[in-house]
Amino acid sequence: MFILGFKFPAEMGNKIPDEAVVAKLDEANIDATGINEIKMSTEYHGQTEELSYTNKDTFMFKALVNYINTAETDYMIYMNRYQIAEISKRLDSDDETMELCKKFDSMAHFKIRAA
Amino acid sequence: MAALRQIAFYGKGGIGKSTTSQNTLASMAHYFDKNIMIVGCDPKADSTRLILHEKAQNTILQMAAEMGTVEDLELEDALKPGAGIFSADTSGGWINCTESGGPEPGVGCAGRGVITAINFLEEEGAYEAEGLDFVSYDVLGDVVCGGFAMPIREGKAQEIYIVMSGEMMAMYAANNISKGILKYANTGGVRLAGLVCNARMTDFEYDLSKALAEDLGTHLIHFVPRNNIVQRAEIRRMTVVEYSPKCDQAIEYKELARKIIANDYKIIPTPLEMDDLEDLIMKYGLDLEADEDNIGKSEGEA
Repeated sequence: MFILGFKFPAEMGNKIPDEAVVAKLDEANIDATGINEIKMSTEYHGQTEELSYTNKDTFMFKALVNYINTAETDYMIYMNRYQIAEISKRLDSDDETMELCKKFDSMAHFKIRAA
Repeated sequence: MAALRQIAFYGKGGIGKSTTSQNTLASMAHYFDKNIMIVGCDPKADSTRLILHEKAQNTILQMAAEMGTVEDLELEDALKPGAGIFSADTSGGWINCTESGGPEPGVGCAGRGVITAINFLEEEGAYEAEGLDFVSYDVLGDVVCGGFAMPIREGKAQEIYIVMSGEMMAMYAANNISKGILKYANTGGVRLAGLVCNARMTDFEYDLSKALAEDLGTHLIHFVPRNNIVQRAEIRRMTVVEYSPKCDQAIEYKELARKIIANDYKIIPTPLEMDDLEDLIMKYGLDLEADEDNIGKSEGEA
């Protein structure tokens, strides 16, 4: 099984607990020093939108910083984005994050960078 | 040296199996240095055109017919090295390609080509090529035809990846293929290794694909978004990986390739009953208004 690009052993089955994903993020030693904002741009059917995310106390923030730190480019892989939103909806609760989760669920193309 | 892995891509006709498989295998060779033999098991013989930069490769059945018998055929005639970056002469992994072929439409058993091709390749030692890491079968349509189930029936393909989408017929086919895998899982050792969603970009497609995967007991290994660059590359008879290796879509195929290489989640599937499949589709809102009272009513009426 693969979640957020992390590999989980087959014996864990096909329903990986959120805590196991959080533990993988913790193991990744994410360095968020100096990152106060995550900027994203989306595009769908020619319509573009600029987004900003600032809540540092969330699973969402940690997962996004990890994505930025490990990705080859600023393109967001759809699967990772859907999985981040899926878990964030269970672990986070603030309005800013839930709003971003809704946008992540879309078919739009996302670019991401730290600011 | 790692053991040879034999994988297969199955899925509904027209779902994008050949495109998905060639782009993924190209990524496995180009980015991860894997050496691959593709065995096209579709009478259309289009499982290798993007790797070879050719319209359609001469098939084993076609060449055997021209020569009189398959015994007259040489491996070099039937197994062609990939073009460009997929040749053994360049850095990175290589890809060799062959196509089984099949009879004229409406005549004979299409599965016969698959059987003949696999037997021929085995007898000629194609599976023992030095450095070969993966054999990949690209198999037409459904497994209702026993011939197309040949790679799994004979225990050749051990890992099956089902290419599907969030559309009902694609999900139906995925479930049906799972039934085929289940039938041969105990005798041949074949396992379902994951669903690949070749997205149509329909509503709730990720959720639906993931839910189907979970119900089958497997995982959605990757969601491949739709991107016009795939078509642009195909017009040049190229994979995206070769046409534009740094583009966003190439990153998607590279990620799928990485996952397949690392994948160890291989299971005997638990196919759904038709009613359960319909319930799943309703649950995830392919038809948001589809309560029992609205069945058979037009958009205006409902």
